Amino acid sequence: MERFAYYDTGHEFPEEIVMAAGFTPYKILGDVHEPTDPADRYIHNYICPFSRSALTEGMAHSEEWAGIAFCHGCDTTNNQYDIWKRHVKTNFLYWINTPANNNKTARPFHVRELKRFIDHLEKNFKVTITTDKLYAAIKTSNRVKDLMRQLASLRASKDIPNPDYHALVRKCVQMPKDELIKELETTLKDWKKRPEFPANQVPVLLTGSDITYPEFMEALESAGLRIVRDDMSLGERYFAETISEKGDPIEALVDYNSRIPQPPTRLPFEARLDYLFKCLRETPVKGVVYQTIKFCEPHLLDQPYIIDQIKKAGYKVIIIEREYTPVIDQQVVSRLETFREII
Amino acid sequence: MISVGLDIGSITTKVAVMKDGKILGTDISFTGYNPEKAWRDILDQMLARLGLKESFVDRIVSTGYGRNNVSIAHKKITEILCHAEGAKHFLPKVRCVIDIGGQDSKFIRMDEGGAIADFVMNDKCSAGTGRFLEVMARALEVPLDDFGTMSGRAKNTVRISSMCTVFAESEVISLISKGESRENIIAGIHDSIASRMVSMMGRTGVVKPVVMTGGVAKNIGIRNALEKKLGIKLDVPETAQVNGAIGAAILAQNLNGSNL
Repeated sequence: MERFAYYDTGHEFPEEIVMAAGFTPYKILGDVHEPTDPADRYIHNYICPFSRSALTEGMAHSEEWAGIAFCHGCDTTNNQYDIWKRHVKTNFLYWINTPANNNKTARPFHVRELKRFIDHLEKNFKVTITTDKLYAAIKTSNRVKDLMRQLASLRASKDIPNPDYHALVRKCVQMPKDELIKELETTLKDWKKRPEFPANQVPVLLTGSDITYPEFMEALESAGLRIVRDDMSLGERYFAETISEKGDPIEALVDYNSRIPQPPTRLPFEARLDYLFKCLRETPVKGVVYQTIKFCEPHLLDQPYIIDQIKKAGYKVIIIEREYTPVIDQQVVSRLETFREII
Repeated sequence: MISVGLDIGSITTKVAVMKDGKILGTDISFTGYNPEKAWRDILDQMLARLGLKESFVDRIVSTGYGRNNVSIAHKKITEILCHAEGAKHFLPKVRCVIDIGGQDSKFIRMDEGGAIADFVMNDKCSAGTGRFLEVMARALEVPLDDFGTMSGRAKNTVRISSMCTVFAESEVISLISKGESRENIIAGIHDSIASRMVSMMGRTGVVKPVVMTGGVAKNIGIRNALEKKLGIKLDVPETAQVNGAIGAAILAQNLNGSNL
């Protein structure tokens, strides 16, 4: 099945629509091991390095994809649409203007945007996206989310190293869903048999910029910080909620989008805090890791308020601003290890 | 009980040997390319000087960037904890520690019970660290050890606006070409490091008494600049540069079956 790529800094992209169109949704995650020189020609190096890596991937691989869609995200993503239009070879580049607000006015707008996307897909790829196909895709998507919820809940009780969890959430957004479901079912059986939560790790909540490469997850693991909850797009945001399988499927997708844990690009940002506190109420943790990738403005903007509120609730928090590199700075390692020691 | 603390820093390796809470000896050497050789050599020399065999040592704790290279350590502990412990040994009521080392600068705030309440560290950038001073010393062709006394002779503290080591070096070269005196430039360098440190300290808040540790604590110019900006007197131990190793040796003394 041909892949349809999407560039989405949150979890805004309606994967189910491209699944119903007969494609495998593929989230562009860049490659931290590849230099971003091709993208650096068009984007200054004081702009989010992940976005430059995503553009580099787009420039190198776009012709392997049926099409590419952007979703409204951070200002960096939004403003790069024009750069992609000019420098990335593709027959189909589309912008889905997912609303930043989450209210009664925004929802009909969102429905219209998704219908417009369906219309363009149907015309461009000569396909028909029927209600039945949408429901089949929603059902598949819900199965993935259900399995992921079961798997993620084992993090607090079993020995599930951070890179193992990270590998799964990456697969969720890049792998064909039928293969993915089989793999998740096998993994669930395996994880249930894993040893108990190890004594040399402390449970923490992870928030901040999406972590797209395993090396940073390994650094957290080596420092003894075991992630048992998170609110990442490559994480719980992707599977925390189920899509309704009743009524109009587009309305169901919009309703789903209004219930998922919010990224920092959505308003109001208190809603993001609500989910973090929900995690903290549900799962005992010893501390909170708030990490941002360099120049990640939405997260840096939220950070003072979110940190302040979490600290006021009595939790220890560490703030890390990381470079986009697989080689983790010794300063960062020392800070993580110190945090582990003091909590 | 005999314990050893080994602090393998980016520039220097430090060792401290303690017996029943008393410091028997300390030493400093350059780390160089091979941290394993650095700690092995300094440990062997230190033990030989004290007339001790390695088998007499009950516990070893390593710290610093090279802590994971010490294969014989019973435990590896971060430099934040070790510096806090070393400062408490020097001044039991200490509430804050400023530590400026070769590659990083840190500020540690402790609660009334001496536990670490918060800490901040510089990021990857070397501005405001010992390495920054080394680069400036090279540009000015002045031995680093003379920086402190020379800044005391400054008639005017020039402003070094750039916080980046590379850009600051260019700025210093521009000041030299303008005919600015070395003394005034050095005073400006100290002032810029102190500004950066005070800004970092502002993130967690300062509580007296404050102990300054690390190799840069030997520089009277930096100490004066910090005291002026903070409006407080800093306590600086004689053993400031080996404070992390002393802290490691103390923590090694406290290791037992449950925290090994």
